[in-house]
Amino acid sequence: MKLRTINIIAYIVLGIIAVLWLVPLYLAITTSLKTLREVSAMNYLSLPRTPEPSNYVQAWNSGIGKGLLNSIIITIPTTILCVFIGAWAGYFLSRFRFRYAPLIFFITAIATFIPYQIVLIPLTQIVASLRIGQSHLGLIFAYTVLNVPLAALVTATFFTSIPKELEEAAYIDGCGPVKIFWKIILPVAKPALASAAILVFTQVWNEFLIALTLSTPSTKPVTPVVAELKGNYVAQWNIQMAGAILAILPPLILFLLMGKYFIRGLLAGTLKA
Amino acid sequence: MKASYRYAIIFLTPLFFILGILYFMTFWTIYISFTNWVGMRPNYQLAGLKWYSYMLSSDKFWVSLKNNLLWLVVFIVPTAILGLLIAYVLELYIVRGESIYRTIFLYPTALSFVVTGTLWAWIYDPANGVINSILSRLGIDTSHLGWICDPNIATYCLIAAAIWQYTGFAIVLFQSALRGGYLKSIIEAALVDGAHGWRLLWYVIVPNIRSAFVIVAALLAIFSLKVFDLVYVMTQGGPGISTYVLAFYMYMATFWKEMVSLGAAISVVIFALSMIIIIPYSYYALKRWLMK
Repeated sequence: MKLRTINIIAYIVLGIIAVLWLVPLYLAITTSLKTLREVSAMNYLSLPRTPEPSNYVQAWNSGIGKGLLNSIIITIPTTILCVFIGAWAGYFLSRFRFRYAPLIFFITAIATFIPYQIVLIPLTQIVASLRIGQSHLGLIFAYTVLNVPLAALVTATFFTSIPKELEEAAYIDGCGPVKIFWKIILPVAKPALASAAILVFTQVWNEFLIALTLSTPSTKPVTPVVAELKGNYVAQWNIQMAGAILAILPPLILFLLMGKYFIRGLLAGTLKA
Repeated sequence: MKASYRYAIIFLTPLFFILGILYFMTFWTIYISFTNWVGMRPNYQLAGLKWYSYMLSSDKFWVSLKNNLLWLVVFIVPTAILGLLIAYVLELYIVRGESIYRTIFLYPTALSFVVTGTLWAWIYDPANGVINSILSRLGIDTSHLGWICDPNIATYCLIAAAIWQYTGFAIVLFQSALRGGYLKSIIEAALVDGAHGWRLLWYVIVPNIRSAFVIVAALLAIFSLKVFDLVYVMTQGGPGISTYVLAFYMYMATFWKEMVSLGAAISVVIFALSMIIIIPYSYYALKRWLMK
């Protein structure tokens, strides 16, 4: 295809904006590899003279390592629970006709968008009275409750697009809805599950308010640790950035590998069919 | 398929259980806002509107509310316009490499605000931050450029960081609208008729992309009412109380001052303001979706 002038201008203009969008990431990566002396020279746009991986070791030992482990322990079970419970309900809501389905969708949608502040104080009380505040279960419980509605909506938007014939054939063969869900819907709905999973994973991994209030020193996820690191290493940007890079690595890698599903999930999460 | 009660119970009980907890907690918070809970231990003795009137007489509340409104306007409008412009260029003028551009614009959306907040706090740092160090290398006097330490512009600096993080989200939503069958055929017809550039954007796309605008604006508004992480990490509400927002005030009141009923009252305000957007939005979006 022949490029016209307008296309070339488009490439250049978007290219400039794209560079602006990448500068913060570039700064974080290069600075995380500089020595403190090099950082103090404030020549931030330069590349590190000799890469200094020890910043990562120091950030890791200052709580980031433990925070990452806690985030993994919390985020993975939460993601599995949300996707499973969400898909279970999402299947029924999107595939069966009944009078109250729109109403149930509506209250689920509202629950998806409610600000966390309105449930934060009761959450601290429930977690304390269930005696799960000292373990990871408290955060898993809170995040599961908050993200199931989202997972239900995201999966439901996908399930509506599966052809009806698929399950009707199974229905005639004498399969009940439970069996159809396991044997027919779930296998063909892998993209839907992947989209819901990556969305819930990213949300929970990146969450801060609840992580800050419900975690204890031994269950603290990585986001509050990054905030602490900022206070403990004032103006030591190399350590701060090493911690920041470690904290964003899992969602960033997921995004780069599964961007398509991330975008689909993002769109479905807006209730856009 | 027609639903039987038995299967409705089997499939919907877990969801209802969770929705039940969420709505129950919501009413619980509303109840707490009318009690007299101060300190660590719950106190459910009713105190009427005591904490609401306390809230309304506090400077922090009005500064927070003003800042949330500022966020609403200064965050949504540029993000939506930039998102539409970039989506438009990506869809019509980028022949190859569209997905690389999209990945670059969207990656911040997958990151945590705590991390991007840490990053931007450094970029804005007046003493040895990125912007001022570059400017002084260029020979510009930066002594008066305080960025997040200047109470007059600190909130704008926070908003700029949020725009950087959320423009990709708007781009993706607008791109999906531009690819929708109806709009796509209108654009193709207009292109055949020789419309292009600003005329195509202004006379053909803008009038026909209203529903995507509603979606983008509503979601960004819901987001901007609960913004907390960026304020917490970048400014702690300062300088003074100049960057306070409702969510930050709620956190400070509840967990630092331990005025839990006050915190609940602020939560109710955040909740009520969000519901003004969430209820019509959910209704509108579901209607479009379920009608299909």
